[in-house]
Amino acid sequence: MQLDGRNTLLYIPALADSPLPSGTGFTHESRMPSLVPTSEDVQIYEICVLYPPALNQKEEQGVLKEVEEVFTDAGGKQVSKDLWGRRGLAYPIKGAKEGNFAVYHYEMDPLKVKETDQQLRIMKGVLRHLIVKPPKHYQIVKYSEAYEQWLKSRETAEEERSKKKEEEVQEKIARKAMRQAKMTTERKKAAPAPKVESEDLTQKIDELIAGDSLDTI
Amino acid sequence: MASAPHHHHQKQQQRRSDPRLKRCPFCEHNTLYIDYKDYPTLKPYTDYFGNTRARYYTGVCLKHQKMLRTAIERARFMGMLAYRK
Repeated sequence: MQLDGRNTLLYIPALADSPLPSGTGFTHESRMPSLVPTSEDVQIYEICVLYPPALNQKEEQGVLKEVEEVFTDAGGKQVSKDLWGRRGLAYPIKGAKEGNFAVYHYEMDPLKVKETDQQLRIMKGVLRHLIVKPPKHYQIVKYSEAYEQWLKSRETAEEERSKKKEEEVQEKIARKAMRQAKMTTERKKAAPAPKVESEDLTQKIDELIAGDSLDTI
Repeated sequence: MASAPHHHHQKQQQRRSDPRLKRCPFCEHNTLYIDYKDYPTLKPYTDYFGNTRARYYTGVCLKHQKMLRTAIERARFMGMLAYRK
C-alpha cells in the first residue's frame, strides 16, 4: 500500500519530460475493476472503426447505426462509446486522406466475434476496423479528449518556443544597439578630447601672455 | 605502451553510454499495457521513416518494447501511424 502511494506521487505525466507514456491510463496505480465482464460467458471487446469523412451527417449517423446494429444483433451490450471526429490519416486509405474514428466497448459472447468481424469487413461505409480484447482491468480512456489536450499542450509549447526566439532576437538587437551607441560615444569622446586640449593650450598661452603683462608691472 | 590501452578504453566510452544508466520510461510508470490509440506516446518511438525506434536508442525494456511493437502495428493498420514515409 505504501509503495502504491509513493508511486502515485511520482507519476506526474504533465511534469515529466522526454518520451513518456502520458495518456496510458493503465498503470499499477490505476488498477480499477472498471472493465470486468458481468458474467463468465461474456467478454469485453474494444472495437475501433474508421469511416470516411466525406459524408453528410445523416450518412454518418447511418454508418454508426449500422455498426451498432451489428453488435446488438450479436447480443452485445454497449459499455462505452467514443467519437473522435475528423482526423488526418498517416497514409491514404482507399483514396481518403482523412477519416473519422469511433471507439466502442462491447460486452458480448466470444463465439460471435468472428461473425461481427466478417460483417464489419463487408460493410460499405467502413474503411478499417479493429476488434481487440483489452487486458484485464483495463481502464477506458477517452482518447478524443486526451488527443485534443495533447494538441493544445503542443500549441502552447510551440508558442513558448517562438516567444523565446523572439525575445532572444530582440535581446540581440538591443545588445547591438547598445554596442553601436557605445562606439559612437567613444568616437565622440575620442574626437573632441584633443580639441579641448588645444583650447586649454590657447588658454594657457593667453595666461602666459597675461603673465607677461603682469611681469611688466 | 601504457597509454595505448587507456586510449582504447576512452574511445569505447565515447561510442556508447553505460547501459546501466538507461532506464525504461514505461517501467518508471509501471505501465501494464500500451494502447494503440494513444498517438502522443507512440509517436516518439517511431523515427522519420516510420520505423519503430530500436530499444538500443530509446532504452525501453524488452517487455515494453514488445507491447510497443503491437501497439504501433495496430495504430499503423488503423491509419494513425505511417508504415513508411
